Amino acid sequence: MTAARIVMNEIKGYHRFIKFLMVLVGGAALASAVRFIFGLGATTNLNDLYPWGLWISFDVVTAVPLAAGAFTIGIVAHVFHIKKLEPLVRPAIVTGFLGYSLVCVGLLLDLGQPQRGPYVLFNWNVHSPMFEVSMCVMAYTTVLFLEFLHPVSERFGWHIPLRLLRTLELPFAILAAMISTLHQSTLGTFFLIAVDKLHNLWYNPLLPLQFWLSAIFTGLSIVIFEASLVHKYMGQPDESDLLATLTKIIPWIMGVYMLVKVYALASLSHGPLFDRPVLTALFAVEVIVGLLIPFGMFLTKRIRTDKQMQLRAASFVIAGLVLNRFNVSMFAMHQPGQPAYFPNFIESVVTIGIIAAHILFFVLVAKYFPIFEHHPEATDYTIPDRFRKIEKHGHGVASEA
Amino acid sequence: MSSSTIDYGKTKTFLIDTTKCTGCRGCQVACKQWNQLKGEKTTFFTGEGYQNPPQMSEFTFTRVKFKDYEKHGQNEFAFYKEMCMHCNDPACASVCPVGAFHKTPEGPVIYNAKKCIGCRFCMVACPFGVPKYEWSKAFPLVKKCTGCYSRVKNGLHPACATACPTAITYGSRDEMLKEAEKRMAAKPDRYFKVVYGKEEAGGTSVLYLTQQPLDELGFRPVTKRPLPSYTWQALRFVPGIFLTVGGTLSLVTWFQHRKDRVRREEEERNSRKEGNQ
Repeated sequence: MTAARIVMNEIKGYHRFIKFLMVLVGGAALASAVRFIFGLGATTNLNDLYPWGLWISFDVVTAVPLAAGAFTIGIVAHVFHIKKLEPLVRPAIVTGFLGYSLVCVGLLLDLGQPQRGPYVLFNWNVHSPMFEVSMCVMAYTTVLFLEFLHPVSERFGWHIPLRLLRTLELPFAILAAMISTLHQSTLGTFFLIAVDKLHNLWYNPLLPLQFWLSAIFTGLSIVIFEASLVHKYMGQPDESDLLATLTKIIPWIMGVYMLVKVYALASLSHGPLFDRPVLTALFAVEVIVGLLIPFGMFLTKRIRTDKQMQLRAASFVIAGLVLNRFNVSMFAMHQPGQPAYFPNFIESVVTIGIIAAHILFFVLVAKYFPIFEHHPEATDYTIPDRFRKIEKHGHGVASEA
Repeated sequence: MSSSTIDYGKTKTFLIDTTKCTGCRGCQVACKQWNQLKGEKTTFFTGEGYQNPPQMSEFTFTRVKFKDYEKHGQNEFAFYKEMCMHCNDPACASVCPVGAFHKTPEGPVIYNAKKCIGCRFCMVACPFGVPKYEWSKAFPLVKKCTGCYSRVKNGLHPACATACPTAITYGSRDEMLKEAEKRMAAKPDRYFKVVYGKEEAGGTSVLYLTQQPLDELGFRPVTKRPLPSYTWQALRFVPGIFLTVGGTLSLVTWFQHRKDRVRREEEERNSRKEGNQ
């Protein structure tokens, strides 16, 4: 009883926005219950023509690249050893962990037989992109969970796990990049089988490569996006100097992506490109808003100092990616002459709830665990030398392992 | 995925001659009976034409599509029996994460409901739009034509082929292709000069002969290449890419951290020197 009262008191103290998010998440939980009682057919607008709808298009195909911040910043900070970016890593890992956990939730909701999810572990079909992605998502959610244990063990003073986790930091960063490369690209491979269904503006054999490249630059943009918002609304320090480093990296990857896209469109597409006006418009918006405008912004010098511009450019990239994934998995899969698919109320409530859950859990994790207090000059994050003690060095003369 | 070892010429194949189909829909009824499928409540003229039910579904594995057209100023009907094409190299079997589908050496592509996790990738992948879902259930499974595997295994012909009075011939793929060529050669005016299913999706165990051009009857244009090859051309790189990324990043890590190590060693040496002086 007292525990419940403590929790209630704690919740009473939250900001109104947080309470609103909790309501949204609660609504989504209810909607999911309705889905499991009455079935997919009764509660969604899915049918034999549109077996995949909003939940696959957003909760899985779009959410996975949006959670790519964790592995991209991990490579940049740890593998390329740009140590000053360290403060950005933890928030990105928390975002990634939440993102992938919610992808799993979305998948379980969408599966007809969610209780059989683990069957993938025992009935291998290496020819299936879905097999590959499910294995990778399971593996990577585990890795992210272990990485997330880092602030958790610091918070509770678990010294032995902390020692282990700090030793594994680098191998985990590399493993994360290996696994992510596979499943980010394989989400593109999904749609290679839809050879007579996906429109030529998006269908080409290099789709997996495009999915991978766009996940990398979007992952880095997400880090910018999130750090800017956290500075704006959660009173965290302004990191725009660190973000400037990222804005130097992003346009390179975007550039490669655009070259691949142009090459694929020009010489690998099989049929007419601009025969359907709606798709042509969607494609134009995706390329102009999601690629050309932010590319130009990232190339201007002012972005190194202007945090407003950093946030805007990152938002454009993210919007472009969302549109791109929807184009590939939903809009361009629509066949002319067929009735269109629109997600219904329950589907939308669930997806909104999943987005709300992401923000909510992020804020709560940030409230109770040390994910921002991770500046090299303030915290010693080397491996603790003794099992019972995290050593605090005064002047950052940390002994490195 | 044992399909690579199957001799497709010997697989049992349907030859459906739509010019001989009378539209009796005996095949529809036989299919419902053999597979114990529920009747559907439908209303007439809800679909694109006279056919009923309006589409294949979890309760209807096959149905006859009606197509009206004009010939010599007369209204005529053409009929086309829709069903699973039982591809030689099926897309559904290739994309299923748990391998719930497989091509049997006898011909039919069958589905193991006990394995299915309900991801519906088979429905996205099938170029003919065949697998249907139990949208009526809370924990649904996929439903599709079984090619009457239980009958074929025991030397019988599928229910629809047995019931059909005129249009369906059933036998080995080689024989059916030969038969199709023979009919086209014998009555050149009667047939459109393409055997649908000979090369579609890399070849199927259902072959169609028609009078009208295929698209007029509502046959989907489908690539001639086996569909699994489209995804496999990307997926086959997976182990290589996994190891390359890991190796490259490990090297980069070693190199980037080396600068730090060298500097630290130097500092240590210097401080030792200072200590000695």
